[in-house]
Amino acid sequence: MQNAKDSFYMALRTRLAAINPERTVLLRGAVRPGILVEEAEAPFTQLPNDVFVLRWLGLGVDLDLSSAMAAEQCEVLYQTCGTQSFGGLDRGRAMSEMDEELTAMLQPFHTAKTNYTTTTPATMLTQVFWDEPGFAPIVVQRDLLSRSAKVMVYSYQEQGE
Amino acid sequence: MSDTAPRNPVSGPQMLANALLRSVAGTTALLRVTGTSTDTSRSEVGLVATTFADVVVSPVVMRKLRPTWQAGGESKWELLVSATGVEQQVRALDFSSAQALFAMTLAVTVQGQDFLIDSVACNEAFGQAYLYRLLLREARQQAV
Repeated sequence: MQNAKDSFYMALRTRLAAINPERTVLLRGAVRPGILVEEAEAPFTQLPNDVFVLRWLGLGVDLDLSSAMAAEQCEVLYQTCGTQSFGGLDRGRAMSEMDEELTAMLQPFHTAKTNYTTTTPATMLTQVFWDEPGFAPIVVQRDLLSRSAKVMVYSYQEQGE
Repeated sequence: MSDTAPRNPVSGPQMLANALLRSVAGTTALLRVTGTSTDTSRSEVGLVATTFADVVVSPVVMRKLRPTWQAGGESKWELLVSATGVEQQVRALDFSSAQALFAMTLAVTVQGQDFLIDSVACNEAFGQAYLYRLLLREARQQAV
């Protein structure tokens, strides 16, 4: 299941870098695309603004198939206060931009399953696939707009996993 | 009579803060700072152990903010840190600012106990920081 989670994140990260190269985050001394896995970073007291944060939630396994299939729920959280040059008055537009970027990042709804534990990432035999995102309503906290979207990510368990 | 001493005329609050911190049994804190990740893709999914460096700052004083204990709730502490101690490390490690140093800090160790930073506040006088106040909570035990 970890390979599916890694592959999903890497697919979104690569797509985000192509969709909006300017959305970056400085984390642990490195500038990288503005998306991160919450459980693979230092704990946040406040989620960073203008960055997509992946949080893994539910898990289901179907063992009645020729290959066991795992389904994991991923919550993508993002928030913005708009930009300084607009005094935050563009926060609605910034949120819309992130909505569109997330929708674009998730298409196509599949990617090759890859094992990143090896020094050179090894492509596996099956695909990781997911369904359409379910967007939650925007939450307004004074000048901060935040939203989350939930996606179910499916993958078949391969031998050795 | 004018003060002709060669010291910085606006460093009085810093000296006073240091003296106060030392006089109330000021101790040393270790900031565990994450190193720059080199193998980006693997470190982003938690596969490569990040290198850490312990940055020593002193004098510091800890004070407990919530004396009562609640189930599932970690105690909160405030760490008062000398701004001059922080500035020395910021210069030595070539950080852009004290905020950058705190942003790179994964945990704070005081007397062998690990804490996580909740927030950072700064006290200033004459345009210079003389004290940093770090709101901390106790870190949970991690697997060895």
